[in-house]
Amino acid sequence: MKDTKTMLRFYTIADFREEEIWLREEHRNGWKLTKMRPPCFFRFERCEPEDVIYRLDFKNFSGNSDYFQMFADYGWEYVSSCLGWLYFRKPAAEVTEENEGEIFSDTATKLDMIGHIMKTRMLPCLVILLCCVLPYLCYAVEEGDAIGYVVFFSVLSVAYLYLVLYCGVKLFRLKRELETGKY
Amino acid sequence: MDSKIKRIYVPMTETGFYILFCLQKPQHGYGIGQMVKEMTDGEVSISPGTMYGTLAKMEKDGLIVFCHEENKRKLYRITELGREVLDTEIRRIERLYRNSREGFV
Repeated sequence: MKDTKTMLRFYTIADFREEEIWLREEHRNGWKLTKMRPPCFFRFERCEPEDVIYRLDFKNFSGNSDYFQMFADYGWEYVSSCLGWLYFRKPAAEVTEENEGEIFSDTATKLDMIGHIMKTRMLPCLVILLCCVLPYLCYAVEEGDAIGYVVFFSVLSVAYLYLVLYCGVKLFRLKRELETGKY
Repeated sequence: MDSKIKRIYVPMTETGFYILFCLQKPQHGYGIGQMVKEMTDGEVSISPGTMYGTLAKMEKDGLIVFCHEENKRKLYRITELGREVLDTEIRRIERLYRNSREGFV
């Protein structure tokens, strides 16, 4: 029986909560995360099945010793990082009150993280969409480029547009839920 | 105190208030968390992401300043500006308390 496995799973920048739930399930099934590899490869190692809470922080830095020490002091084990995301975990048995299972205890700092994702990830994606992808598509159509090429590029553009919209709407909704106290 | 600082920090969140209050003496994030838990009988607990984020923001806004490092833990203390914000908050909370004690007529 193999003791490690690598899985390819695609989560957008707006799906971090789903990702946390999935990692917790994997651990409950006896697979603990050991390493992340960009863009979205998850490396697992076989372990004793256990209920372990996973949390993701978005920082856009690989972390400094002071930051990791703070999380360690609070009982969070640092696992890995990937494209600005930092993965932490803590056994559910160690959580005696609600806040101990969270890495953010107030709305302001949760909103800061979402704001940070929007500014450093969503904005560049939107700029690329508006300034490169769409103008180039229009140009290709106008110039009467080979139909196969235009179709291929259109499909890519639509997929890109869909992703940007999906993330934008989802992040915006998360933000609104936080502001109105529903999350 | 400039109006931007006033807009952001007055009134303050409970988390923010306790962090600033504890930094009247040099302390690191986890130490602050422990002090706050003790002071509030465990009712206010601050998670690490919130602690780290709040300290970074307060340092950037000049309310607190980095003193030194101990075993990879950064210790901070309050500045003049932080003191001014804290005093403003304490006066506001005292007024709140006084008025609520007097009862509603």
